[in-house]
Amino acid sequence: MVAMTTIGQLVFSGLLIGSIYALMSMGLTLIFGVLRVVNFAHGEFLMFAMYGAWAFVTYTGFNAYVACLAVVPAMLLYGALIHWIIIRPGLNKPHLVVVFATMGLSILMQNLALLVFSADLFDVPPLNAGRSITIGPFYAKLELLIGFGVTLLATAVIHVVLKSTYLGKAIRATVQDGEAAQLMGIPVPRIFLITFSAGSALVGLSACVMIPLFSVFPSVGLNFVLIAFVVVVLGGMGSLEGALLGGICIGVVQSLSGYYVAPAYGQMFFFILFLLVMVFRPAGLMGRRGEATLGMLD
Amino acid sequence: MTACIALVAIGPSQHMLDVILLSFMWAGLALAWNIAGGYAGLISLGHAAFFGIGAYTSSILTAKAGVTPWIGMWVGAVAAAVIGAILTLICARLRGPFFILSTLAAAEVVRIGALNWTSVTGGAEGLMILPTPSAMNMVFGSKTTYAMLMLIYMVVTYVVTKAIEGSRYGYYLFAIRDDEEAASAAGVNPLLARTGAMCTSAFLTAIGGSLFAQYFLFLDPTNVISPELSFQFALIPALGGLGTAIGPVLGAFVITPLSELLRSYFGGGAAGLHLAIYGAVLIIVMLYFPSGISGALMRHLTWKGDSAR
Repeated sequence: MVAMTTIGQLVFSGLLIGSIYALMSMGLTLIFGVLRVVNFAHGEFLMFAMYGAWAFVTYTGFNAYVACLAVVPAMLLYGALIHWIIIRPGLNKPHLVVVFATMGLSILMQNLALLVFSADLFDVPPLNAGRSITIGPFYAKLELLIGFGVTLLATAVIHVVLKSTYLGKAIRATVQDGEAAQLMGIPVPRIFLITFSAGSALVGLSACVMIPLFSVFPSVGLNFVLIAFVVVVLGGMGSLEGALLGGICIGVVQSLSGYYVAPAYGQMFFFILFLLVMVFRPAGLMGRRGEATLGMLD
Repeated sequence: MTACIALVAIGPSQHMLDVILLSFMWAGLALAWNIAGGYAGLISLGHAAFFGIGAYTSSILTAKAGVTPWIGMWVGAVAAAVIGAILTLICARLRGPFFILSTLAAAEVVRIGALNWTSVTGGAEGLMILPTPSAMNMVFGSKTTYAMLMLIYMVVTYVVTKAIEGSRYGYYLFAIRDDEEAASAAGVNPLLARTGAMCTSAFLTAIGGSLFAQYFLFLDPTNVISPELSFQFALIPALGGLGTAIGPVLGAFVITPLSELLRSYFGGGAAGLHLAIYGAVLIIVMLYFPSGISGALMRHLTWKGDSAR
C-alpha cells in the first residue's frame, strides 16, 4: 500500500511539473507550427521574462501572478520587435539563416543578462510560506497547483481562439497552405507577426508561473529549452494538445526515474525517450504523419 | 599555409601564441564540422559528443591503461566515427529542425552519461592529465610545439576537406544536399554518402578533442560535451561560409582573436560583453551575408580572395 501511495504521489507531482513544462513549450510549438521556424533563443526569451517577473515582484511587492499583467504585454512587444528585426528578414532565406540567427540572438541575450544581473541566482519568496497543501492523499506545492490551472486555462483559451475566431481560422489556413491563404486575402506576414508575438507572450506567462518555483540566472534558458525541445517533439511539433501531453509525459518520467533510479539520470531518460520517438514515430504523439520527414529544407 | 608557419616561427608572446594556437584548433574543428554540416547538409548540434569522446578516450586510455595518446586518439576517433554512423542511420529519415534537435539530444545523452559514469570519467570533478612533459605522453613544455601540432591538425582537416570537395564523392554530397530526390534518381545512395560524411566529420572532431585534452590537461563533461560547444562548432563555419573549405578557417581566424581581444580589452569589469558582441555580429552576418565572410569576400573582392590563400 505504501508503495502505491508513493507511486501515486510521484505521478501526481510529475503531472503538475509536467504541465508547467507544457506551458513553457507552447510558445515554441505554436511558432513552429505556423512559421516553420525553430526559435533557438526560446530559452533566453524565458530567461528575460523570468528576470522581468522577478524584478516586478521584488520592486512592487505583489506576487508573481500579478506580474503577468506587466510581463505578458512586455514579451508580446519584445516578440514583435524580434520578429521585425530577425525573423521576418530571415524567413525568405534558407532555413539555416533563422537557425543560426536565433542562436546568435540566444548568445546575445544570455550575455546581456550576464552583464546586467551578473551570474547570481535570483528568486522570489514562496507563497504559503513554502508549505505544501494536501489534496486527498497527495501533497503539492501551491505554486505547482496554480501552474497546472494556468496551463489548462491557457490551453483552453488558445484552443478556442484557434477553432472559433476569425483570427484562428486565418492562422489555421496559413498552416495548411500559406500560398493559398495569401491568395484568399489572408495577410500571411501579419499572421506570422501575430503568432510570433503571441508565442512570446506565452513565454512571458510561463515565466510568471515559473519564477516562484525556479531561480533565474543568465544561462537558465538552456536547461529549459532542452526540455521544451523534447516536449514539442514528443507531442508533435506544432500541436498544442501534443505539447500538453508531451509535457506531462516528461514530468512523470522525470519524477519516477528521479525517485527510482537517480535524479541525475532523469534527464538522460527523456533524451533517450526523445530519440526513440524520433526513430519510431518522427511525427510525435499527436503530430501529423510525415511531418518530420517532409520538405523541411526550404 | 606558409603565413601560418611564419606566424608561429616569429616567436610571438605567450598570450599571442595562445590565440594563434586556439585559432588553429578552432579552424580544424570548424572544418571537421563543415564536412557534415556544410557539404552533406547534416546540420549537427551534437558534435561536442564526438569531441568529448575523442578527449575522454585518449585521456582515459593514458590514465588507466598507460596507452600513449598518440595511439589513444585514433581509438577515440574510430569510436566517434562509429557513433556518428549510428546516429546518422538512426536519424536517416529526419530533416531540418528534427535532425538538428536529435543531434542535440544525442549529445546530451553522452554528456549526462559522462557526468554520471564517475568510475571511468571522474564525473563532474573531471579528469586530470599528468602535466609532466614527455613526447611519448604528448605533453609538451613549450606552446610552440602545441601550436605546430594544432597547425598540422588544421592542415590535415583542410586537405581532407579539399580532397572531398574535388572528388566524385564530394559531388555526390552536394547533389544530395541540394536535391536528394534528384540525386538518388541519378544513382547516388544518399544514406551511404551521408553516413560517410558524418563518420569523417566525427573522426576528425574526435582527433581535435584528444589534442584539446593534451593541451589543457584537464577535462570535465561540462567543458568538453556542452551544448554551447556544439553551437560553437556550427557557428564558426556558418560565420565563415558553409560548404567552403576556406570559410571555417576564416571564421576561426576572425572569431578566436576577436573574442580573445574583446575579452582582454573589457577585462573582468564587463563579463559577457565580448560574447554579447559576438552574438550581435552573428545575427548581422547571418541576416545580411548568409554565405558568410568567405561569400562576402568572394563577391566583392574576388581577386583578393584568391591571393589571400
